[in-house]
Amino acid sequence: MSQDNSFFKAVVWTATSIFLLAVVALFVINRAKESRAEIPVLGKLPNFRFVERDGRPFGLSDMKGKLNVADFIFTSCRGPCPVMATKMGELYDLYKTTDKVQLISISVDPECDSLPVLQEYALRQGVNDNRWVFLRGEMDSIKTLSEKGFMLAADDLPGNHSTKFVLVDQKGKIRGYYDGLSDASINILKADIRQLALESEEKE
Amino acid sequence: MKIFRQFAFISTIATYIVIFAGGLVRVSGAGLGCPDWPKCFGRWFPPTNISQLPPNIDPSLFNITLAWIEYVNRLAGVILGFLILITAFLAIKYYRKEMRILIPSLLAAILVAFQGWQGGQVVESELASHIVSIHMGVAFLIVSLLIYVTQQAYYYEYPDEEKKSDYPNKSSFWIGLLWLLTIVQIVLGTEVRSGLELIEKEFPLLPETSWLGKVGLVSHIHTFLGIVIVIGTFQVGSRILRLSKGASDMVKQVIWGMMTLGLVQVLIGAVLVVIGLPDIMEIFHLWVASLYVGAILVLFSAFRQYGRAK
Repeated sequence: MSQDNSFFKAVVWTATSIFLLAVVALFVINRAKESRAEIPVLGKLPNFRFVERDGRPFGLSDMKGKLNVADFIFTSCRGPCPVMATKMGELYDLYKTTDKVQLISISVDPECDSLPVLQEYALRQGVNDNRWVFLRGEMDSIKTLSEKGFMLAADDLPGNHSTKFVLVDQKGKIRGYYDGLSDASINILKADIRQLALESEEKE
Repeated sequence: MKIFRQFAFISTIATYIVIFAGGLVRVSGAGLGCPDWPKCFGRWFPPTNISQLPPNIDPSLFNITLAWIEYVNRLAGVILGFLILITAFLAIKYYRKEMRILIPSLLAAILVAFQGWQGGQVVESELASHIVSIHMGVAFLIVSLLIYVTQQAYYYEYPDEEKKSDYPNKSSFWIGLLWLLTIVQIVLGTEVRSGLELIEKEFPLLPETSWLGKVGLVSHIHTFLGIVIVIGTFQVGSRILRLSKGASDMVKQVIWGMMTLGLVQVLIGAVLVVIGLPDIMEIFHLWVASLYVGAILVLFSAFRQYGRAK
């Protein structure tokens, strides 16, 4: 009889501890999810009007409805740009199965980077569709967009452009800045893209 | 003497808790919550505020929740390390001449130290799936050794435990076969997990519910073998219960435990397939597997030592 009793006790103990473990686990998983879900809105892009490689105009409305990763480059840059281009290229490959993610490289050297030069540069990066666009604009409007829109310093263009990748959501709102030279930071960018994509899917 | 068994038993329980915590880290995506190792953001105690970050670390990497989840797992691992170390010392003190207790205890202590270092490799590799699988495999090995020494110490203290028992022929063979199939099944399980991670890389925006369908053949084999193992578990378990005379309470209870765990594991697997990988079930799927292996191991040792020869 006492044997049965101790077996019963053991079963109750096990059941209780498993229940407690489950409660703790659910709590922790939820906290982890919440901690990732808070991707703040950091700003809003103004309207702009640039030109893509093939001459088609490209503005804010072309960014809406997509998750955008934008950076500032110039094709003859020898400093950090090649690394940034490689990282962008990795994102380009990563999101090859979806057109929800758009990559935008904005030239800060419109004098040298004519549309044919940008086109040739894009081909060198292995770009063969419209998921990665390369934009040319007037120097003044580039400077304004960088400083007032993206809130990135643009004092000494083209030499001193930012190396940040900027995440812009489907409504043209800035959701994050990431170090375009750091894998760890780009991993966070990927996680944020996934989070925003799943959120917008839930709303649909 | 008794104190050794108590410490071995506590270490076993603690290992199971740490295995659970490890699963929790994995499914909550906190594996890189601390980007460095052994310190966390350059500190022995993770930052509670973004202003405490060292200047060479990018603040966008910092997520306080994930850092603490990872840190608690490391801390639990360290505490477990000390428990196993004490167990090994007690083994040297009390069972210096009992090789079957001494050697596995020392081995567990060495393995838990290795596991700490290997955990650093997991972080270093940025969670490469095969390195994560090795981390899990070593945890299973440690818990197996601890279960073995706890049981052996128990038999040492109660040599009459299995005196009256008479188990059917080939019990240890059938249990051993279940163990072997289970190990294959666990390796397949880690393959399914790696496959899921590949799909996450390949289709980064696909919701998790549709991942499993894309894993393909290995997940079907895993499902099939799981059903085979649970049927085998009930066959072997009920045969032993039916044919043995004077079975010890330990063996009887562990057989019931093994059958329950086998059934629960298949049900969890079904939930994963049907509902599509709810996080909490992923943890339990791994954890129940480790408990099931533990149960099998207890039975195997019992039948090897006290079952009828062949």
